Amino acid sequence: MKKKGSNKIVITDSFQAWAHKWGRIGTLIALLYMIAIPFVVLTFYDSLPSIGEVINLSTISILMVYIPVGFSEAISYTPILGASSYLTFITGNIMNLKLPCAVNAMKLAKKEPNTPEGEAISSVAVAICSIMTIIILALAALLSAWISPVFELPAVKTASNYLIPALFGSLTLGLFASTSSGKKVVKNGVMGVVPVIVIITVLALVVRITTGSSLFGMVGFLILFMLPVAIISSRIMWKKNIIKVVDKEDADTEKSE
Amino acid sequence: MATMKDIITSPLLLAMVIIGLLYIVGFSLVYLKKAYTHCLELGISKEDLKNVIKSSLVFSIVPSLSIVVGLFALISVLGTVWSWWRLSVIGSLSYESLISSSVASAIGFSSSAEMLAGATGQQFGVVMILMSIGMLSGFFILLPLGKKLSMSVSKSEENGNGWKYVLSGCFMLCLFAVYIPVLLIGDTVQAAVMLTGLVIAVGLGLLSKNPKLAWLNDFIMAFSMIGGMISSVLWCKLFL
Repeated sequence: MKKKGSNKIVITDSFQAWAHKWGRIGTLIALLYMIAIPFVVLTFYDSLPSIGEVINLSTISILMVYIPVGFSEAISYTPILGASSYLTFITGNIMNLKLPCAVNAMKLAKKEPNTPEGEAISSVAVAICSIMTIIILALAALLSAWISPVFELPAVKTASNYLIPALFGSLTLGLFASTSSGKKVVKNGVMGVVPVIVIITVLALVVRITTGSSLFGMVGFLILFMLPVAIISSRIMWKKNIIKVVDKEDADTEKSE
Repeated sequence: MATMKDIITSPLLLAMVIIGLLYIVGFSLVYLKKAYTHCLELGISKEDLKNVIKSSLVFSIVPSLSIVVGLFALISVLGTVWSWWRLSVIGSLSYESLISSSVASAIGFSSSAEMLAGATGQQFGVVMILMSIGMLSGFFILLPLGKKLSMSVSKSEENGNGWKYVLSGCFMLCLFAVYIPVLLIGDTVQAAVMLTGLVIAVGLGLLSKNPKLAWLNDFIMAFSMIGGMISSVLWCKLFL
């Protein structure tokens, strides 16, 4: 929850306030440490490259993969993850692990994103998930010589390549429900993203027909460009009363009738 | 002059990675404790929290195992310690894998095997620095604007403006609106896997309505995801 001052956001929920202060500081410390690692190790081995060696025409292609993805993830996922964003971003693997895990937790506890309850419950899920992943990866790294043959089996490799489609299959079911929060329900919210669905469908079809390939590698950019479309279109539909925000009790009564 | 092999097997790198991971685990534990206590204060029952924790554990296993597959692919390019570090924190399986396939050529080698055999410490240093600074871009938004971005869509009970509720759902819906057509149209196997996951989720949802199978409700997403992934082996045989 927040109270509006002139410009300053004052958060009244104690966990959200803690996360936006200490979560941010903890993230900053981790980030500085992550950047320091290569510099400390390379200086120790007297192998620190020059700026020109790090940033040049050949290496810029690598940065061009990372930079837009980073921007896109921060802009699109932070409003969904709220207070759990700091932990989510610092532990990585957002779309293929942390975000679905947070969504699953909120769905189970019947809490919505952007509410103090939703953000607290998704923080519990993301923390559990982060610790679990670190343990599994530590075991894998430690036992790599023994277990790598299992993970190099063709069937295991194939299944791993299809994690994202499988995740979306499992998550899509909840998409068609009306979103609710406390005493309010958003009806027809999906209508707001119909223009996005149409644009992406046409683009995906054109790319598939003309080149035989998929837009899968471009999803980060597409989300970034489609967000304004979704917001503007939802705003227009909300103004025109196509998307409605109603009291939960009214929606429940309508359903039972 | 140190070689790439010296750096990737360096005890100093290993020590720094272990310290970093311990910090991240500690940070996660503090977050967990704070969030758990707050959930109880907000009236969420211990039973609900137990279910969320159980389901999150199960839900994390399969994607983590996928990350392990990626780890082994990355190890052959970047060595065990650096790959382990990148995938345990900040990194993303898909982008780290993508980068690993292009780093060798970016520093002048024709293959990752050639890089591993012949790269100097300085050349590998370029890779380490690039990977470390590359993912910072998201933090240039998250750290200064995270609070604003989160709270801009916050729903408060006393807020009579319905738009905030609509806006809040917009981000998640947009994510789906982009991913679903891309998955369904771009690749036949991806489409089949996604639909399999969906069918399993619907089936499990129906089964969980039976009081004896109500426990299934906590694992619908995890099980349908696993089912979808397993089905990919069959779909690949059929369509590829």
